[in-house]
Amino acid sequence: MAPQLTLQAPLELPPQEVPDYLNRLWSEGLKEEGGAATFTLVVWEPSWLQQQLIRTGRIDGPISGLLNEPLLQAAREAVGQLGLPASTAPTAPELAWALGQQPGHHSADDLRGQFVDRAISAHQPRRLITLAPTLAADRPLETLVAAYCPLSDERSGGGDACGDVVVLRGGMGALQQGLPMLQPLIAAELPCWVWWNGSLDESPELLEALAVGPRRLVLDSSLGTPRRCLDVLVERIAGGQAVNDLNWLRLRTWRESLAMVFDPPSRQSALQHVVQLDIDVEGQHPVKGLLLAAWIADRLGWHLQNSSWLEADTSTEGRGILAEFQRGDGQTVQFRLMPVPVGVSKTHPGALVGMRLICAPADRAPLCVILCSESGGCMRLEAGGVASMELAEEVVPLPNESEEMEMARLLGGGHDSTNPLLASAATLAAKLLPS
Amino acid sequence: MPATQTNPLRVGLRQERVIAPQCLVIFGASGDLTHRKLIPALFELFRQRRLPSEFAVLGCARRPWSDDDFRNRMAEAMADDVKQHHSAWQQFAACLFYEPVDLQQNEDVVRLGTRLEALDRLKATRGNRTFYLSVSPAFYGSGCRALAAAGLLRDPARSRVVIEKPFGTDYSSAEQLNRVVQSCGQEQQIFRIDHYLGKETVQNILVLRFANTIFEPIWNRNYIANVQITAAETVGVEERAGYYETSGALRDMVQNHLTQMLALTTMEAPGRFDPEAIRNEKAKVLQAARLAHEDEPWRCCVRGQYGPGGTVQRPVAGYRQEPGVNPNSTTETYVAMKLFIDNWRWQGVPFYLRTGKRLPKRLSEVVLTFREAPVHLFDAAGGSPTANQLVLRIQPDEGAGFVFDVKAPGSGMRSRPVDMHFSYDESFGEPSDEGYVRLLADAMLGDPTLFTRSDEVEAAWRLYTPLLELMEDAPSQLPVHPYEAGTWGPSAADNLLADDGLMWRRP
Repeated sequence: MAPQLTLQAPLELPPQEVPDYLNRLWSEGLKEEGGAATFTLVVWEPSWLQQQLIRTGRIDGPISGLLNEPLLQAAREAVGQLGLPASTAPTAPELAWALGQQPGHHSADDLRGQFVDRAISAHQPRRLITLAPTLAADRPLETLVAAYCPLSDERSGGGDACGDVVVLRGGMGALQQGLPMLQPLIAAELPCWVWWNGSLDESPELLEALAVGPRRLVLDSSLGTPRRCLDVLVERIAGGQAVNDLNWLRLRTWRESLAMVFDPPSRQSALQHVVQLDIDVEGQHPVKGLLLAAWIADRLGWHLQNSSWLEADTSTEGRGILAEFQRGDGQTVQFRLMPVPVGVSKTHPGALVGMRLICAPADRAPLCVILCSESGGCMRLEAGGVASMELAEEVVPLPNESEEMEMARLLGGGHDSTNPLLASAATLAAKLLPS
Repeated sequence: MPATQTNPLRVGLRQERVIAPQCLVIFGASGDLTHRKLIPALFELFRQRRLPSEFAVLGCARRPWSDDDFRNRMAEAMADDVKQHHSAWQQFAACLFYEPVDLQQNEDVVRLGTRLEALDRLKATRGNRTFYLSVSPAFYGSGCRALAAAGLLRDPARSRVVIEKPFGTDYSSAEQLNRVVQSCGQEQQIFRIDHYLGKETVQNILVLRFANTIFEPIWNRNYIANVQITAAETVGVEERAGYYETSGALRDMVQNHLTQMLALTTMEAPGRFDPEAIRNEKAKVLQAARLAHEDEPWRCCVRGQYGPGGTVQRPVAGYRQEPGVNPNSTTETYVAMKLFIDNWRWQGVPFYLRTGKRLPKRLSEVVLTFREAPVHLFDAAGGSPTANQLVLRIQPDEGAGFVFDVKAPGSGMRSRPVDMHFSYDESFGEPSDEGYVRLLADAMLGDPTLFTRSDEVEAAWRLYTPLLELMEDAPSQLPVHPYEAGTWGPSAADNLLADDGLMWRRP
C-alpha cells in the first residue's frame, strides 16, 4: 500500500503560533467543513536508522519514517560491514547507534509526518502530530502545519471530514521545549493514541510526558533493552492505561498455530500434561519468546517457580533462560529459551525461530509439538529423542503486515483497555526475565 | 454447535477483522428479535473484544422508554447471561441508549438525527452508522425512505441498512421493495439478512468446494446424478401463527434459506474472494435455475400440512389446531420440489428440495449423489451397489460425510458402503458463533458477502413464481396433502422422487 503525501505543502509557523493558527483555521476557514470526530494520533518518530543510513550515504532520502525494502536491505548489509552479530535485526537500536559512529554528511529532505500510510489516513485522524527528532541535537524547533480536506470529487458522499497534520521537528532539547504546546493541540473530547515508534530506552521523560492516561499507548517491546521494555509494559498496564504492543501482535501467527494443534478435543487433554517448553529466538532479545512462554503458562494455569540465566554453548548465540513452572497438579514444567544464530535476521529483534512443547500424558504416548518459523529450520528442536513421540510439526507463516497496517487495525477498532491476555502475559514475562 | 471441551489456547485468538467505531441503530428495539438475538449477539461480540470502545447501540421504537428502561429490559431478558458475566454487562450496558422513534413521523426522524450526532460526540463513533430494521416488513420501504429523507443514508461509506427477512412476498413485491430501498441509498449500503448464511457450515460449502482441488473436477453433471437439499424441523408453528399463515413453508424457508444453499452448492468458482464476485456467481446460477416443469408446476412440487400426531402420552396438535391458525387453513407446512439448472455444469441434474415442520428430525443437509460406477465388478453385500454420496451436514452434528464402497471382510469380493466422517466438534471442539453474531459483525464491518443482493432476491422469487401463481390462481392443482406430525411428510413427496427411480435420503 503506497503511502500518501499530504495534499498541500505544510506551512512553517513559529511554534507559539500553531495553536492559535489551528483554532482560527477550524473556527473560520474550515468552519463549514467540520473536523473529523475521530481521534488524535501522536507519533514519536525518531527514525534514527533511516537518518543514519542516509547520512552515511547507504540509501537516498527523503526521510519518511517508513520501513521499506531498500532500507531494510541497506541495514542488513550494514550489520555485516560494522561487524555486528549476523542475528542483529535491521531495526535493532544497536545498529543505528553503530551507524552513528561512522563518518558521513549526506542529507535529504525530511518528510516525516507528511508521509501518511493510506491504511492510517483511511481512518481520517482528526489530528496527526509527529515528533521528529533530528540527528543534530542543537537544531532549533520547527513546526509545520497542514490542514486537509478530501477533494470534492473524492468525497464518498458528504460524510468525509477534514483533519490536520502537525510536525514538530528539531533537536532533542528543542523538542522537549516544544512539549507544552502539545497539550492544547490534543482535543480532550476525542480519543488520543500515542505511538512510541522507537526504542523504549531513549527519552523516558518524553515518553512520560506524551503517554499520560487516558491516552492509548502503542509501543514495540522488541525495541530497547529487554528489562526496560517489559518494565514499561507492566507499569503502564498496572497503571490502567490501554497499552498495545506491536511485538505482542506479531506473535499472533505463533499463538494461532499452536492453538490449531490443540483444537481437536482428542488432543486437548495433552495440554494438562506438558513437561517441557523450548523456545528459540534470534539474537539477544528474549522478550517475544518470553511473551509466548508467559501466554502459554498463563493459559494453562502454570505458576512460575524460578528462572535463571543459562550460560552460552556452541549452538547458541548468548545466554539463554532456564525456568521452572508448576502445573496445577503439582508437576514441574521445564522451560528453556535459547538465542540461536541465524544467517539473515528478520526485521525486528528477537524474532522467534522455533518452539517445542512436549506433553507426557500417563495413558498414551508422549506428544511433541514443534512450531517452526517459515524462514528457517529448527533442527535444534527436532533433535533430542523426539522421534519416539507422536509428532505434530507446523510451519508458522511470517506476518505479512506492515507496522502501519497493524497500527491502522488498532486505530480502526481500538479498545480503551489493555487486552487481558497481553496484560497477564506481560506481567509473567517480566518475572521470567532473570535479573 | 456443542463444544465437548474448550481449547484454553484458543481464547481471545479469533483473527477477526476490526469493526470500526460506530453506532448501531435498532428499529423495533422493543420487539422479540432485539432481546432474543440482537443484543445477545452484540454482548457476545463485546465479550470477545470484537467491538471497539467507541461504540453505541441506539434502540428505537415507539414505546416511551428511557435509556435505563432499555438497559433494564435487556438485562431482564438476558438474565442468565448478565448473571454469568456481570461486570462485562455493566460495561456493555453503558453503550446502550434508547430513543422513542416512530419512523413514520418526520419530527421523530429529525430528533433521531440530532440524537445520533450527540452520540457521535459522546462515544466518538465517527458518524459510522448501521441501521437495523427489525420492524414489520410492511415498514421496510417507508423506513428506508424516512432515513434517506433525513440525510442519514447520504454517505455510503459510513451508513448502511440491515433488512430482516422476508424481503417481499413474491417477485413483484420484492422488485418494488428493491426499487424503493435503492432509491434511498446505494446497493452497497443495503444488507438483506438470510440468517442461514451466518451458519459456519453453510459458509463451509464455499471453502470445501473452492479450497480443495479434489471436488471441483467432479462437481458437475458428468459425475453427479442428483442433489437433495433438506431443511427439516421438529417444531410446529409455535408462536408465529400470525406470520406463518400468510407465509407458509415456501416463502418462509425455500425462497431464502434453501435457495441460498442451492446457490452455494451450484455456483461457479468466483474469480476472487470478493463480495461482488461471489454474489455475481450466486445470482447467475439462480437465474439459470428453473422448476422441473415450469408450465405444469404441479408436476414438480408437493405441498403438505401436518396433522395431529405424536403418542398417547405426548400427543402433538395438528397445524389447524394450533393457536392462531385458521381451522380451515391451506397454508403449507411442508413443501418438496424438483428443480433443474440450465447451464453447462448442471444440465439434466435434478435438484430436490424439501422442508417441513413437525418432521422426525431437526436437520439441514445437502446431499450430492454421484453416478454409479459404469461397470459393477463386485457383488454388493446389500444387494445392489451403493452410489457414492457426499453429505454436507449443516445442522446438527455439523460436518461432512462421504459414502463409498469398500471390500466387505471375508473370503469373497463383495462390496459394501462405509462412511468417512468429518465433524466440526471432533476437529475443532470450539462452538462456532451464532448466526447473528457473524452477520451483525459483517454488517458493521460493511462486508456484504453473506447478505443477499437485489438480483439474487429477485432471481429467487422469480424461480418460484409459477408455484406462487398456481397457489394463488388454482390452489386445487397444488393441494395441501396432510401428513402425520412426526413423519417425513406426505407420501406424494416420495412419489416425486419415485418417478425418477429415487428415494429421499433418510437421515
